[in-house]
Amino acid sequence: MRLLLAEDDDALAAGLKKELIAAGYAVDTADNGVEAEYLGNESIYDVVVLDLGLPRRSGLEVLRNWRSNGNALPVIVLTARNAWHERVEGFKAGADDYLGKPFHAEELLARLTALLHRTSHMPGGTLTVSDLLLDEERQTVTTPDGEAHRLTGTEFRLLRYMLLHPGKVLSKSLLTEHIYNMDSDKDSNVIEVYIRRLRQLLGSDRIKTLRGQGYVFRDS
Amino acid sequence: MRSLQSRLGSGLILSLIAVFSVLWLLVSSGIQSLADEYIASRLRHDAEMLLSTVNFDANGNLVQDETGIDLVYTKPFSGHYYLITSAGQVISSRSLWDHSLSHAEVSTGQIIRSYQDGPDKQLLLVIDNGFSKQGRSLSVTVAEDLNPVIQSISQFQSHFAMTALGLLFLLVILQAFILHHSLRSLARVRSELKQLQQGKIEQLGTDLPTELQPLVSEVNHLLNIMTQQLHRSRDVLGDLAHAIKKPLTVMQQLTDKHRDTMPAELQETLAKQIIAINRLTDRILKRARLAGHHHGGVRFSLAQDLPDLINAVEIMYSEKSISIQVEMDKETDYQIDREDMLELLGNLLDNACKWANSIVKISIRAKSGISICIEDDGPGADPEMLQQLDKRGVRLDETKQGYGLGLAIVSDMIREYQGSLVFGRSEKLGGFRVDVTLPAGEG
Repeated sequence: MRLLLAEDDDALAAGLKKELIAAGYAVDTADNGVEAEYLGNESIYDVVVLDLGLPRRSGLEVLRNWRSNGNALPVIVLTARNAWHERVEGFKAGADDYLGKPFHAEELLARLTALLHRTSHMPGGTLTVSDLLLDEERQTVTTPDGEAHRLTGTEFRLLRYMLLHPGKVLSKSLLTEHIYNMDSDKDSNVIEVYIRRLRQLLGSDRIKTLRGQGYVFRDS
Repeated sequence: MRSLQSRLGSGLILSLIAVFSVLWLLVSSGIQSLADEYIASRLRHDAEMLLSTVNFDANGNLVQDETGIDLVYTKPFSGHYYLITSAGQVISSRSLWDHSLSHAEVSTGQIIRSYQDGPDKQLLLVIDNGFSKQGRSLSVTVAEDLNPVIQSISQFQSHFAMTALGLLFLLVILQAFILHHSLRSLARVRSELKQLQQGKIEQLGTDLPTELQPLVSEVNHLLNIMTQQLHRSRDVLGDLAHAIKKPLTVMQQLTDKHRDTMPAELQETLAKQIIAINRLTDRILKRARLAGHHHGGVRFSLAQDLPDLINAVEIMYSEKSISIQVEMDKETDYQIDREDMLELLGNLLDNACKWANSIVKISIRAKSGISICIEDDGPGADPEMLQQLDKRGVRLDETKQGYGLGLAIVSDMIREYQGSLVFGRSEKLGGFRVDVTLPAGEG
């Protein structure tokens, strides 16, 4: 899952970025509203954490601009003021969730997971597709035989993205975009390696290859 | 204070009456003396005419040739009389009949004017003229009844008075109309001030007479200053919150991150302190941000802001899928600052949703003030705790079970607005129930 973190406080952004990467997100950061708005329109992000007090363009304005351009990107709003009128403004502008500062990183992660599930129409605490169960906290996948397999960072990101988009054709470049951030070397051939590894783990028929198009995760 | 209208009105009526009275007196006396003067000059002409009709014969007797005499002098008591005397001889007009006319001795060339009573209750203007003819002196006295003239003068006077009264009446009505019209702008300012109090308008209209302009623009100026001050202090407080919250968030993240490497005691203390600072900041900032009964902010609209707020709360609790029911009349209206009301209702709804299983109900009734009742179908509070909540001086944020910061902020607000806050158990839904009443906004 690729995440845009729009936060102007360097110390906070750096700390959060580490936590988010550890939780399996490919994270890009923006420290001002103009950059955040531009990046959010690139349609490579699955979710945005948006601080309302951004310099150059306020978070609220950024959010309104996205929504008026038909950009339905899931957005969690962060704010220091914690005033209800601001919350109402935030939701009116199109926010999907709201978190007042200060907050525990765990709470943000829980809300992100919930929001992503909601966006993919998979409500509930755990991510279960057919007979696979993905534990997003421990980054393990439980196969039908009851065994929990530990996943590497990239494997987890790839599997989570596929599980949140079951039955859809996912091209290699799309997968690359959503599991790596801007700073990574993007070699779409590496995807094949990870797909092979997931097939070994979950059984080869779960991920279907469509020649020239990409991969489909079978949901039944 | 007497009203401006009655003061201006009575002053104007009195001065109009004085002006008309003086005018009436001047005109009356002027006409009177004009008429007298005119009659006197005619009588002098008559006297000269009469002089030409008399002669002295060889014996020195006064003889008159009556052929050239005006007929009015021959008709009895006609009101026109004459008397010609010379050295004891007297010729009088036939109109005098048996009446006599007293006359003054006049020397040649002398003219005396006098008034005397004539026959038939007549008032006569009498002119004695001294002449000399054929070497002898004689006096010709002519008189005319003034009554017909006096009668037409008094008729004129009464006409004049009637017309003046009519004009006075019209002027009074006209000035009352003008006054009422010009004072209408005062009435408009008064009604606008009332609307201002109720928050229906933010500024007074400036389309006014120049006398009122400075007053109204001063009021508008003060309103602007008040609004700006409220905005400025809210902005400053918001920035302060922002500034404090950022390092606080970093501290919290660090404490969380080094949970395992830090001594447990230190970690716990740090976490507690961070929470304490956060709550304190929130509570104090929110209390300072309250607009209270002061004017100047944007007003809360039950028709628009309440659905927005409920929508926000529903999104926040979308995992629990809570239904928030609203019970309120369409015409319900209450004037209160938007941010204050959102803070009040937001905290109450948040608290209710936190504890509710599936239903939260909000009922709003506005009658002079406003009463809000929020109920949920959660576990509710046990009676012991309700008592504690009711007790004065118990700090709500120190009570346990999560009835925390939100309700503390609500109680701060209620205190500021001098309203009341009652906690209880909902009879319909079985959970917690909060009743808030706020008094009508005083001017």
